[in-house]
Amino acid sequence: MVPYEYYVALSGLLMVLGLIGVAIRRNIIALLISTELMLNAVNIAFVAFDMKLGDVGGQVFVFFILTIAAAEAAVGLGLIMAIYRLRRDVDTETLTELKH
Amino acid sequence: MELSSTGFWVFSALAVLSAFGVVFFRNIIYAVLSLISTLIMVSGLFFTMGAELIGALQILIYAVAIVVFYVLVISTVPEFKGKAFEPKYMIISLPVGFLIFIELAFVSLYGAWKSNTGIFTQDVIKEVGNVKAVATMLFTKYLFPFEVASLILLVAMIGAIILGRKEHVIDEEAKS
Repeated sequence: MVPYEYYVALSGLLMVLGLIGVAIRRNIIALLISTELMLNAVNIAFVAFDMKLGDVGGQVFVFFILTIAAAEAAVGLGLIMAIYRLRRDVDTETLTELKH
Repeated sequence: MELSSTGFWVFSALAVLSAFGVVFFRNIIYAVLSLISTLIMVSGLFFTMGAELIGALQILIYAVAIVVFYVLVISTVPEFKGKAFEPKYMIISLPVGFLIFIELAFVSLYGAWKSNTGIFTQDVIKEVGNVKAVATMLFTKYLFPFEVASLILLVAMIGAIILGRKEHVIDEEAKS
């Protein structure tokens, strides 16, 4: 049995990769995909702590995270299609209306 | 080596490799395919931890349903032309990300987690089964959040329909 600390460290690595993805990517769809990566990292940490503490509350929360991720994907992709229809562009460098 | 530890090393190596693909692939279609790979490997990690229900849900909902959303939108929005990521952001984000990872790894490897242990110890879960244990908690203690989650899904569905409909249909109705 692998100690749960390894699972938590793996969760941290996936979390940081998702964070770097959000920082450096320019496509909005890639930003959403990196966010999904971070959500998965949190799921791994929840289930690892469940294994350690002898509880199933974390797995229930993973279920809720799945639900919220589905809602976030639906609304986020709807927004992307609306932005694309309006601007013909999904590049974060040129979508700067809120900057000024 | 035990089967579960072999599974951990195989699944985690492939998950990290696929996560690098998600972040650094230039083409967005390759990034989505890497995301599917990562999600399936994370599901395998759940199975090695003995969380069968969550592992199955991960494959069914995440790796099939949510990724189909992304593929659908990528097929609608034409392929992104030009640079996929800005190298000037890597100069600051890679060291910061590395520092955050060092901190997280230090905390998880040397941190002593103190918490009340629950009633579902390994023996209890082995007796009643993981699915029954999770479902018992979900439909007793967490029943109200479960109902709120269904409401959130309904609101998100209505919002996605409103955001995704075509505006010029309304314009034509207004003209006639």
